[in-house]
Amino acid sequence: MKLLSKLTLYTTLSKIAIVILFIWLLPRLVNDVASRYTNYYLKEQKKKVLDNIHKKGIDYYLGGDSSYGSYTMLKEEYISLEPSYTELPVDTIETSRRIVENDTLTYRLLNHVFEYGHKKYMLEIGKTVAAIDQYNGPLQRVALYVLIGLIAFTLIVDLIFTRLLLRPLGLIIRTKLVNRKFPFKEDLLPIKTSTTDFKYLDNSLIGLMNKIKEAFEKEREFTSNASHELMTPIGILQNKLENLMMDNEMSEESQEKIIGMMNTLNRLKKIVRSLLFISRIENDQFAKADHVKPRLLMEEVVKELEDRLEARGIDLRLKVSEDLTLYAINRDLIFQLIYNLVNNAIRYNKEGGKILISDQLIPGKSYTLLIEDTGTGIQENDLANIFDRFKKSKIAGEGYGLGLSIVQTIAQYHGIDIDVRSIYGEGSVFSIIFPGAMLSKPSAIV
Amino acid sequence: MKVLIVEDEKTMALEMEAFLKKSSYLCDLAYTAKQAGKMMEDNSYSFILLDLGLPDRDGLEVLREAKKNCPDASYIILTARGDLEDRIKGLDLGADDYLPKPFSLLELQSRMQAIQRRKSGLNDSRVLLGDFMIDLIKRAVFFEEQEIELSRREFDLLSYMLLHKNRPLTRSQLSDHVWGDYSEGDYDSNFIDVHIKNIRKKMTAFAPVEWLQTIRGIGYKIKI
Repeated sequence: MKLLSKLTLYTTLSKIAIVILFIWLLPRLVNDVASRYTNYYLKEQKKKVLDNIHKKGIDYYLGGDSSYGSYTMLKEEYISLEPSYTELPVDTIETSRRIVENDTLTYRLLNHVFEYGHKKYMLEIGKTVAAIDQYNGPLQRVALYVLIGLIAFTLIVDLIFTRLLLRPLGLIIRTKLVNRKFPFKEDLLPIKTSTTDFKYLDNSLIGLMNKIKEAFEKEREFTSNASHELMTPIGILQNKLENLMMDNEMSEESQEKIIGMMNTLNRLKKIVRSLLFISRIENDQFAKADHVKPRLLMEEVVKELEDRLEARGIDLRLKVSEDLTLYAINRDLIFQLIYNLVNNAIRYNKEGGKILISDQLIPGKSYTLLIEDTGTGIQENDLANIFDRFKKSKIAGEGYGLGLSIVQTIAQYHGIDIDVRSIYGEGSVFSIIFPGAMLSKPSAIV
Repeated sequence: MKVLIVEDEKTMALEMEAFLKKSSYLCDLAYTAKQAGKMMEDNSYSFILLDLGLPDRDGLEVLREAKKNCPDASYIILTARGDLEDRIKGLDLGADDYLPKPFSLLELQSRMQAIQRRKSGLNDSRVLLGDFMIDLIKRAVFFEEQEIELSRREFDLLSYMLLHKNRPLTRSQLSDHVWGDYSEGDYDSNFIDVHIKNIRKKMTAFAPVEWLQTIRGIGYKIKI
């Protein structure tokens, strides 16, 4: 998951959790506060009553009667004063029902027993629970709305800020990492950011990539120069041996030895030539301005290899669409790429084997040519190395040579992917995946 | 026929000379552009073999000038640079062919003969081989009036051996010629055998081909 998505998810979930917690907590809190306040209120009322009795005498309330009762208009509050015969208990506050003029109502009640003039009285002050809870609902609602509003606001601010904050990271990933195909050709520009961590990351990446680029360029230069320098002495040796071969006086034995030398020299020549070819591709010496129908190219390759197919009794089937065109490629290089793969499919096939060449089009996305053989296949642990220069197959005891390195170099040069699947002993499938952009004419032809 | 070899690697120039002499070419050697210029002024040549990597001047410049001095000569460019651009520029400037170094002397001679044939027209394009007649320009093999169908590669092999007749050719020399840059050495040798077998089969149906000899351990030879 992307960092931005993770952060977004975290922020949102944490805020939702806060809201849920608040919704769960709010009624309890409000009830608690209301109840504490009511208790306090009742106590205050009690104090007032006792104060009055103290100052004005109990008859201020009783007015000669043995008991006194009064309530507000809607019976929300009431007070009663009556003689008590019980002991002097501590004040109690409880919720209980009382019948006030035929109405049964639930009250929060304070009971207080006191002595006045050697007589015990019980004072009861009550407030209806309904009156207490009157403001609870609206209060809770308002609180909830305010909270949700605040949360939504901070959430939006958080998300926008996270997005802004992470934008340089996205930029680093997009420009430096995604779709970067080695070798890196264009210059790397540092991104603009005030976050030092990103700056550090970006600079480190640029530094590393430049180092790789430099090392690669050095290797490229070396390969090119070394190969080039080797060509002349190889040429001299070859010509000397050729002249030697024409000497009629030579014994058969010496002639055979010379042929051995010539074959070895030939191998050397092939290697150097391939390396030179690879370095030439890597040095951008081939223009990518041709367009070609893969079908025609395939037919050409097959024609070129016809005699080998025939000699090994291999049945090749070509199922490639006829009207497709690939643009912005180098025809010779793509020919060589396909040639090498088909040639390998013949070379590592069994006598009388099969080759199927087919294609797949995912419009706008990619075009794939598949070369399927019934050959020896490739061992699983060799699969990763087959494109490496000079890597030897451990089992077969023979190298794959530079043919596949050339294939890879050409593919990389064109931004083509090569995919290999293989079952040892059953055969291999090489897929040449052309990017979708090659399927349409480049808009600006220079 | 006179050939000027312009090549700064002395050893290589000498090997080319030794080889071409045996095929009865007369050779002059020039190791620098300056020497070459002088020789072109004093002599006329049928062939000028020009190395592009000369120490004193750019090879393509030399070619441009040489074309003025010796317009009738045929030019083959030799270069280790192998850049595509060189090849295109060279051919644009009027070179007849292009051989990347290292090259086989047999290949060089075969290119020279091909140029010669091209320039002289149909006159000497027909060669007798035993009871057969080979038309090198039409790329066809005839027995009396009957044409024998050979594949492209089979014909390449036959004509190459015919050009270098009486000389043993190794399998890899043959495959180098037939497959050029695509040749794969040892692996290709088997295919040379297959092709020779086919040539023999197709032609013996008309007349014996004892002139096509297998040389044990080496390769093949056409002996006339």
